[in-house]
Amino acid sequence: MQIQVRILRYNPEKDSKPFYQDFTLPDVSPDWRLLDVLHEIKWKYDGTLTFRRSCAHGICGSDGMKVNGKNRLACSILLKDLNMNNPILIEPLPAMPIIKDLVVDMTGFFQKYEVVKPYLITKTPPPSDHERLQSNEDAEKLFESAKCILCGCCTSSCPSTWTNENYIGPAALLKAYRFVFDTRDEGADERLDIIDNPDGIWRCHTIFNCIETCPKEINITWHLSQLKKRISTREM
Amino acid sequence: MAEEINKKIKTFEQQQWIKENLSYKKDSGSWAWIYHRISGIALIGYLFLHVYSLSPLSQGKAAFQHKMELYSTPFFMVLEWILFIVVLFHSLNGIRIVLVDWADGAKYHKQLYRFSWIIGIILFFAMGFIMFSHEILRVFGK
Repeated sequence: MQIQVRILRYNPEKDSKPFYQDFTLPDVSPDWRLLDVLHEIKWKYDGTLTFRRSCAHGICGSDGMKVNGKNRLACSILLKDLNMNNPILIEPLPAMPIIKDLVVDMTGFFQKYEVVKPYLITKTPPPSDHERLQSNEDAEKLFESAKCILCGCCTSSCPSTWTNENYIGPAALLKAYRFVFDTRDEGADERLDIIDNPDGIWRCHTIFNCIETCPKEINITWHLSQLKKRISTREM
Repeated sequence: MAEEINKKIKTFEQQQWIKENLSYKKDSGSWAWIYHRISGIALIGYLFLHVYSLSPLSQGKAAFQHKMELYSTPFFMVLEWILFIVVLFHSLNGIRIVLVDWADGAKYHKQLYRFSWIIGIILFFAMGFIMFSHEILRVFGK
């Protein structure tokens, strides 16, 4: 089967701005992942094509990119699930600075992630005879939010991020949920103070792009709504 | 050290929100947001129009009556009917947003979106019938 692929290319040493390059692959199988297509191009057609990938099984979250207008992991989509009548359009994640081709600078993304203190904060000493325990029911509340692989698909798909680069973004807020609602954590108020500002949780306008794009199918907006409720009710 | 190296890397900034809003694939949530913004701006515009249309009140009863007759012409009636769907969408979607933020609406956001359109269209035609019942009865009645 033959397919056409259109990729946004940018080489900082040669190009002043990105441009689209078309590739025609004469022999691919519908069972291929999009990552296999990128490998085919890099290995057989153009060795300069640059993209991130590591585990290639949807766990590391390195190969987030915009495919046919929507952020996805290249390793998690099969060709047969894409419309192959038109060229497959592959672009880097939106709103992040392009370093080269499909590789974007995620420094800002991880800086925002660090802002919410993504680690367990404790103020009381641990029990002397056992570790800090948590009931199954309490752990259950965190399972979905803990599935995040930090691929950046959600934050870069959010229209609030496109207009305001200071917006902390859904990924960082989801991590805030993961610790605020952890019964072992004692830093909830610190985190809520951090995200309770116009560039924090209140910049979420419930557009739901994050849910549509999340490769782990996390209902991010629901978790953010729990944070909004917690902030609004804690004063009462 | 890492920051110094980062500064040396030449990158291409792609903060182009108009292009991104146009090219990114939209689902019900993004459409609801876009329509909500557009209807919000339209309603602010209407507010000014509304104040302007009431301004003949200061010129006495006759001037106001004259203005009101203009607004009861079929053209303005249809415009008013269109205004009603803008108000409907903005208020029904507003309720949807409250349910998303305060109830578990985020789990049912697509159903809520569809539901608000169905309710909206039913109310839109019901209002159309009330507004134009006189004309409808004249054409289809005895």
